[in-house]
Amino acid sequence: MSLKSNPPASVRFISREHLALWLDQIAAHMLLIAPRDVDGFVLYRKANSAADIFWDYSRPVMPIKDALFPPTERLFTIEKHGQDVRIIQSEPPPEQVLFGVRPCDAHGLQALDALFISTDPINTYYAQRREKSVLIGLACKEMLQSCFCTSMGSAPDDPRYLDILLEEVVGGYLVQTVSEKGAALQERFPMITNPFFGERVKKDWSKIHAVLDYPPLDAWRLSFNDPYWDAVSEICLSCRACAYVCPTCRCFDVRDEPLTYQAGTQTYERIRCWDSCAGEAYRRIAGGHNPRPEKGQRLKNRFYCKFYYFPLQYGPAACTGCGRCIDVCPAGVDITEVLQHMAQEVSVEVA
Amino acid sequence: MYEPKIIAYLCTWCSYTGADTAGIARLKSPANFRSIRVPCSGRVSPELIMRSFDQGADGVLVLGCHIGECHYDSGNHRTAKRIPVLKALLEFTGLEPERLRLDWVSASEGERFSRIVTEFTETVRRLGPNPWRVENQTYPYKPVFTQMFREETQAQFNLQELLASAQAMRDTARELLSSGQVSCVIGYETTPRNRTRPVFIYHPEEVDRLVWNQDCTHNLTTYLNHILQPIPNKSDPNRHQKIAVVVKPCDERAINIHLAEKRYERELVHLIGMVCQGILEQPHSSGKTITERTQTLQDRCQECAQRSPRIADTVIGNEQLNINPSPTSQQRPKWIDEVKGMSPIERMEFWLRQFDRCIRCYACRQACPVCDCPTCLYERDDSLWVGPSLGWEGIGLNEKRSFHLGRAYHLAGRCIGCDECERACPMEIPISFLNQRVAEEVAALFGYQAGLTPKPTPFVTALSGEEVVP
Amino acid sequence: MTLNNHNPMEPYLGRVVGIRELGAEIKLFSVRLLNGGQEAFKSCRPGQFAFLSAFGIGEAPFGVASTTERGDVLDFAIQRLGSVTTGLHELGEGDILGVRGPLGNCFPMESFKGKDIIVLGGGIGGAPLRPVIQTVLDHRSDYGRFTILWAARHPSLLVFTDEYEEWRNAPDTQLHLTVDVPDPKWDHNVGLITDLLEKVAPSPINSVTITCGPPIMIHFVNKMLVEQLGFKPEQNYVTLEARMHCGIGKCGRCNLGEKLVCVDGPVFNMQEVGNFLESFL
Repeated sequence: MSLKSNPPASVRFISREHLALWLDQIAAHMLLIAPRDVDGFVLYRKANSAADIFWDYSRPVMPIKDALFPPTERLFTIEKHGQDVRIIQSEPPPEQVLFGVRPCDAHGLQALDALFISTDPINTYYAQRREKSVLIGLACKEMLQSCFCTSMGSAPDDPRYLDILLEEVVGGYLVQTVSEKGAALQERFPMITNPFFGERVKKDWSKIHAVLDYPPLDAWRLSFNDPYWDAVSEICLSCRACAYVCPTCRCFDVRDEPLTYQAGTQTYERIRCWDSCAGEAYRRIAGGHNPRPEKGQRLKNRFYCKFYYFPLQYGPAACTGCGRCIDVCPAGVDITEVLQHMAQEVSVEVA
Repeated sequence: MYEPKIIAYLCTWCSYTGADTAGIARLKSPANFRSIRVPCSGRVSPELIMRSFDQGADGVLVLGCHIGECHYDSGNHRTAKRIPVLKALLEFTGLEPERLRLDWVSASEGERFSRIVTEFTETVRRLGPNPWRVENQTYPYKPVFTQMFREETQAQFNLQELLASAQAMRDTARELLSSGQVSCVIGYETTPRNRTRPVFIYHPEEVDRLVWNQDCTHNLTTYLNHILQPIPNKSDPNRHQKIAVVVKPCDERAINIHLAEKRYERELVHLIGMVCQGILEQPHSSGKTITERTQTLQDRCQECAQRSPRIADTVIGNEQLNINPSPTSQQRPKWIDEVKGMSPIERMEFWLRQFDRCIRCYACRQACPVCDCPTCLYERDDSLWVGPSLGWEGIGLNEKRSFHLGRAYHLAGRCIGCDECERACPMEIPISFLNQRVAEEVAALFGYQAGLTPKPTPFVTALSGEEVVP
Repeated sequence: MTLNNHNPMEPYLGRVVGIRELGAEIKLFSVRLLNGGQEAFKSCRPGQFAFLSAFGIGEAPFGVASTTERGDVLDFAIQRLGSVTTGLHELGEGDILGVRGPLGNCFPMESFKGKDIIVLGGGIGGAPLRPVIQTVLDHRSDYGRFTILWAARHPSLLVFTDEYEEWRNAPDTQLHLTVDVPDPKWDHNVGLITDLLEKVAPSPINSVTITCGPPIMIHFVNKMLVEQLGFKPEQNYVTLEARMHCGIGKCGRCNLGEKLVCVDGPVFNMQEVGNFLESFL
């Protein structure tokens, strides 16, 4: 069953050609990041014009997180000359337009915002990039088998968390301006749009894709010592693929790397780089003690972080139902099975 | 005029003194080389050589003692075996092999030292500046090799045979568990999403979860290392109980490597070997619109000549059945030959484009049944081999390349060709090409194929009588 | 945002103004902060920690081993264990290091007033306890009986040996030493800190304990305090060590269940620790 509704007043229509022109204009003046076909893989990369964009994508292999929280980031540069040390701040990030963002990835940024911006002290690097980014979403036409965004309180055409949402219709796109940032971008780069008179079919996603039961917080608190965690992690290989493709995973490491040596001055950079709780050394302290030596404990930490720690610490859950971890896991660990187990656990306990 | 930069690794017992001898005799040597004194040429790891090239060396010279004169008896034997394999690997990824040279110079051979250095400098000068070093990430996204050609041959399966094998395998597993011969059976199950994945079965009543089908792609021997090697401080007695594992004929070869490297005793493992009809290409999320899954055999299966297990304790299936044509019956063009046919600079660009996608998730290493050093060299001291950041795409390309080449090199004579690394890679980097190229070289130099017997690879042993010295 | 819009990931520069050998591979670095750091560290309280940068290698967290009441030079006791500590050990007087902090919570010294205090330090774990000792000694009349139990694997690993006289000479203050493995000159107790604790047997009435050492020591000390000596878990304070990379609750590495050691700790009482979802062991 589909719900037919009239589009709200702010929804307008833009033809494919006009959208391409608009993006060309943006790319000429700002950094445009968009889905591109890189050797058969759809990845968010710099696009020099609309022609670089790969349109017929489902879900890029890596989330848009990379553009705001890159895999490695220079925190500052260190110059050492004899006994003197100078710290040189990094250049501020450029203004960027992120095009083709899926609603699930934008939803993921909300979790990162809660941690990096809303919780003191601010992560200035992330906050600066976030402030200088405009998110133009492209609604998904369908849900993949592994997608479960509707179970995480979002939807393939969810405009929240985005600045502008585009939705493909015959001949072009519907434009929904969501935020002031989105309006400001359109003011700076005017879009040639028309009123939309067609019939917009609003899909009832819950009828198309089953919505999973979501376990209450208590379920997690009560199940911490459940032998289930050892069983579910037996097949885990302790790689970090799930964390690195996740739109919300944010663990990081900080280290110095040498850059150049010139005329007695050694230059280093301090970088922040991604890390993952799946790695064996993640919690090991100086002297060798490791509170989390077993992979079962580490995989458990991943799920607890997403659905229990993160909500307690920062509010939102750190999962948006994008399903990437399900598809990349080389061993077939499935986060939705864990969620369903936890939801059932509670119903059993209540009964 | 272009002056090449040359790094010379000199053994302290011979060539380092040889350089002095040359100096005392006032023999002319070019001033292009920076020497690094090492305790033995066998100490010059491939990482040091690759790091030299990464940091801008135009040529690397490794000089050790003549064979038979090593201060540590056989240190230079290892060098003699390693460098040719490394050379092949570097050549395959775009470096001219002439930029790396291994030779022998004794302490008294000042004249020889001077001659080799002069010769080498001239060779490198002719080659010109080394393009190996990646200074930035401005690699053009121009397609070098966009569509890898895939043979879309429909695989033929005898489904009845598959079903019968699955049943026989479950019966064996049930028998092993109920008689207490094994504590656990590692096999395959079907997930609620209708995908196939590994499963650990402990009780006879759970045996019905086990499946055997055309999607049983995982090499389950990877888990044996983790289970049979006790983690320090956790002395669970069950860790040493016998484990049964379902293996394909290709997976089985990993057991020989484990045994050769004395990871565990053969008695601790019961191999349930499956006669294999080949495994299908697994669907992979590339971000494009979902395609129907194909009925194409995996590459390794199209080239596989071993469809029956050799060392399994229980063999399941009809060994006479040969349903998918064997590789000898058809001449398939090989991707790896395509790469070999490129010019050096094309090869370098090809590989940089591949490595550029790497997100350093280590899935390749973790899925590999033989890649299991207690602490990976690339993660020592928690190094995440990130290297300098170069724009928002992040991780240094040099570092990504070092990791992949280093890993391929560490698998020389050990890689059994199960391609788990490539399957596990979320970015589908063709890691198997690297492993295949190294395996070819090991086969050519030592006549050795990994995993056929439980003997250690000749790559890590001293030279035997008939082996050639370069 | 934090004070003065200071980027919380950027360290202050500090100059090494003194280096003292404390024991085998343990050095005490005295650091004078340069650019605005002095201001920031004025508020540093006992139990807080800071990230020290060995520039070119990286940074790691260390407990501040001095009170700001005794001057604005900060002390850090550093045992050489990994790459950062090795880099710091290579510094000489006059060299520059980075100092980021003060971070974490602190011992509730106010609420300890009027109570008997028992301090238990194991090896390099004594470092974050030194500001507690200094504070109690400097305000001796504010606190009750003061007992220090100081332990190490070997006499060469005992820290602050040259300050024992000062500690012993303070009124109503006792210092007990023990090592696991003695050397020929050793004339104090031999055995684990729990053996010493059993012998000293402090009274739980109106008292608090403060422990820092390896996780296993914290575990057994607390067990003995509660099960044999009648202490309540909330009387026993500990400072926990965890691997961390930011110290400001962002990097996610130091979590113990839903708690982050860097911002919720590193000081906890054992009742809180007992309520954590995840064990610190």
